Amino acid sequence: MSELVRLTEVTKVYQGGITGALNGVSLLVEKGEFTAIMGPSGSGKSTLLNLVAGLDRPTSGSVAVGGMDLGKLGEAGLARFRRDNIGFVFQFFYLLPNLTSLENVLIPAQLKGSEATARARELLGQLGIQDIADRFPARLSGGQQQRVAIARALINSPTLLLADEPTGALDTHTGDQVMELLGKLNRDGQTILLVTHDAKLATRHAARVISVMDGKIVDDARLESPERAASEVIRVRSEETSR
Amino acid sequence: MRAIFIKALADLRRRRLQATVIFLTVLFAMAAGTTAVTLMSQTRDPYQVAFEKQRGAHLQVAFRPNTDPQLIKGTAATIGASAYGGPYPASNIQFRFGNRKFYVDAVGRDNPGGAVEVLNITSGRWPVANDEIVLTRSFSELNKISIGDLLKVTSVAQTPTLTVVGEVVDIDEGSADLSSQRAWMLPAALPALSTPDSSFYLMDYRFPSDPTGPQLQTSLGLLKTSLPPGSVAGALTYLLIGSIFNITNQILTGVLVAFSVFALAATVAIVATLVTGIVISAYREIGIMRAVGFTPYQVVAVFALQIVMPALAACLVGVTAGTLASQPLLANSSHALGLAYTPTFSIGLDLLLFAGGILVVAVAATVPALRAGMLKPIVAITKASAPRGSGGRMLRHAAARLRLPRPVVLGIGDAFARPLRAALTLITVLLGVATVVVAVGLPRSFELINNSETGAGKYQVVVTRSSAYPDSDVMRVLNAQPETARVVASGGQNVIVPGVGDPVNTRLFRGDSSRLGYMVVAGRWYSAPGEVVAPAALMHDAHLKIGDSFTGTANGQPLQLRLVGETYDINNLGHSLFMDIATMASVTPAVEPFLYDVTLAPGSDVSAYVRRVAAVEPDLLDVRASDTSTIAPVKIIDLVLLILAGVLALIGVGGVFNTVLLNTRERIHDTATLKALGMSPRQVIVMVGASAGLLALVGGLVAMPLGLSLHHVLNDVISNSAGNETPPVAYAVFNAYELVLIPLLGVGVAIAAALIPGRWAARTNVVEVLHAE
Repeated sequence: MSELVRLTEVTKVYQGGITGALNGVSLLVEKGEFTAIMGPSGSGKSTLLNLVAGLDRPTSGSVAVGGMDLGKLGEAGLARFRRDNIGFVFQFFYLLPNLTSLENVLIPAQLKGSEATARARELLGQLGIQDIADRFPARLSGGQQQRVAIARALINSPTLLLADEPTGALDTHTGDQVMELLGKLNRDGQTILLVTHDAKLATRHAARVISVMDGKIVDDARLESPERAASEVIRVRSEETSR
Repeated sequence: MRAIFIKALADLRRRRLQATVIFLTVLFAMAAGTTAVTLMSQTRDPYQVAFEKQRGAHLQVAFRPNTDPQLIKGTAATIGASAYGGPYPASNIQFRFGNRKFYVDAVGRDNPGGAVEVLNITSGRWPVANDEIVLTRSFSELNKISIGDLLKVTSVAQTPTLTVVGEVVDIDEGSADLSSQRAWMLPAALPALSTPDSSFYLMDYRFPSDPTGPQLQTSLGLLKTSLPPGSVAGALTYLLIGSIFNITNQILTGVLVAFSVFALAATVAIVATLVTGIVISAYREIGIMRAVGFTPYQVVAVFALQIVMPALAACLVGVTAGTLASQPLLANSSHALGLAYTPTFSIGLDLLLFAGGILVVAVAATVPALRAGMLKPIVAITKASAPRGSGGRMLRHAAARLRLPRPVVLGIGDAFARPLRAALTLITVLLGVATVVVAVGLPRSFELINNSETGAGKYQVVVTRSSAYPDSDVMRVLNAQPETARVVASGGQNVIVPGVGDPVNTRLFRGDSSRLGYMVVAGRWYSAPGEVVAPAALMHDAHLKIGDSFTGTANGQPLQLRLVGETYDINNLGHSLFMDIATMASVTPAVEPFLYDVTLAPGSDVSAYVRRVAAVEPDLLDVRASDTSTIAPVKIIDLVLLILAGVLALIGVGGVFNTVLLNTRERIHDTATLKALGMSPRQVIVMVGASAGLLALVGGLVAMPLGLSLHHVLNDVISNSAGNETPPVAYAVFNAYELVLIPLLGVGVAIAAALIPGRWAARTNVVEVLHAE
């Protein structure tokens, strides 16, 4: 496997923040990995994801994706980078309310200037939601909306799929379905970086779980079997909590 | 109450940009409205004041020189006049000043006072010798003649020289740029300056109260029947003179009122859009306000107050600015009437305008703010904002089918996402573009009409002969010049037309008058003796239509005439007749032309021609290059139109800016999502710009027919006020490419205005926006 994401001594301090959201984080993610980043609220896990997506810039250190140093890209370059390399799945789906499901899925391709209706329909079919292609988000269930969001994230065949608490706004059953879907995508070769606070969910699907606490990586576990992984991660989290 | 003010003030500080938009639009609307209303309410006053002060004549009548002065004097009692002046001996004289020659009606009077037509001496003194003359101030200023200047009379063989000793204001004649003028001398000086065909008696009548037009016509009819036939040569009423004094301000007032209503309508649309936008984006805040104890009415008051506060300041400044802006025009009227200028305004009226402006804005703000008051607290607090508009789908699909870039497609959809807001914005664009259309079109229509009146491009030289220089000699001189291509000569004589009280001036042409550039509104130009053309006012008063035959009276003899066409002519406010001189010669064989419109061969040196012909007989020929310049009142109207168009266009741009700003802020979450998905800053700007561009395009396309209709209507109003109907060519002043270019220009300006919210959206931090959600 080859390197896809490299964070080197990344620090992120928000304006007015006394402590950094990220403090000297270094990280390497390889192609094909399903990596979960875990941590409590305010630990810096979403900040880490935003930096990898090029949505935010580090205060210091560097972020490289696919060998591309994001610090060297301007706003337009970052937009092109996201369009070409990143698929983003949000906790609250963030579908555009005035576009149909199909139109939402098509947006990233159209921003790129390509026409991908056939692929969008294929993706909707793969995700089991082909029958809601012409419906607006307001008429979809949470699970359906998140599947549309995943299809949208995949439309440009990104090298990296970022998912920020993708099950956070869903019930357990629907959340499981979404995670199954992400697992299947990974098995098909998609690199996934998942942010979640749910250890069981993470360990059930991810092969690697990185724990973040107070802006630092406190644990980086490569899991061989789901059962062992879960106990290891839970141990790490209880240690963090007791500190 | 205090809490409402504190909250409204805090909101106002937060929404400074929107407050600025409100301030500017209300300011422009109020300034234009106040100018209009002040002009409208005050313009009649200076004339009325001067008319009373100078005991103006309600009716002035010119009598032929062979009429017995004692009989003329007796007519005052016949028609029930309470006071009279005259009969004064008068003569139309020509004099030379520098190398220019002028005609005035010299009136013989011992003094400037009397029971009627008191002359207000503004400088100098009344003549005390036969070689002294007093001019009107209007005439002196227009022609740059000063006290002490010498005028050489060229209409009589002796060519005596007169000294200007005074300037007066005469309330019984129009200003020099619109009317012929009088001058005054001692009665004893008149005989030496008179010729048989230039003399007349002038009599002024004043009635106990201001008579109406029909009453004046009745009096004139009585007067005519009491004298031998043909005694009356002409008549003038105070109503006509008042109209001439006020015509510029009347037209200006009409234009200003129309566009003030436009500006106010646009302001109402912007206020309603703004408040709706604020309420939509402040659901959570409304919920919190209700939660902490604001009543529904107090919530409404908070939203209305933050609009009313900048509007209050704008009304204050706007009413003051409008009152000040009206003063130069009023000062101009006062000056023309010989009145000392004192600032003319009504505090009561200004207060009324101020209150009216505030009321309109308050209502426009309160109606959409009611939505905030009616929101249930729990609904408001649980929703950050109102459900996002989902309109514009059809447009978006249509744009997608055209394979436009996705940011453009999205922007097009956003433009009509909230149909009511889009409609209100369209109103502001529509009014702005329509005004621009009018401001572009009307000056062109004016120019066309001006060109027809001045013969621009049709003839280059105008020669006027003194009665001492025969017509045949003039023609010989002109025909001897190698550059002379065509000469159309003209004269004039009054004709009595059945149904028209005043004798009607005629233009009697010799030569091909159809090539002088007069505009034919309907029918055709005359082509044979007995045929005449006339402007609308005469046709209306005489109940004539094209094709009608009628019998006029000229020189006391019946004159068979047939109306074959309607023309445009503002002289005498549309009361004149145009015919071949041969028509008049049938009853007045001695009639001769005195004015010669000369068309030169292409490439001729006009100045050299003028110098050469003038040198033939310097005292008896007035030779000058044709003056095709636009008269001052038209220039003022053009300028005011230009300013109004600028103001309305700015309000239109403000409307688009306001809507795009609201849309952009409201959709910033979607924009952040799009940015997260890979939309570049440039694409964000394109999206916002497309939204503004579409609104401007739709508004512009709808505005074009509206603007053209408005141009049509205003042309008619202005033409009618000058006694005419608009000639068809005056409507058709736009090129096809301009009809496309004007809305496109609007699109360009709207896109430029959208750059500010567009750049703001493009620079938005995605993480902050999505995190805030």
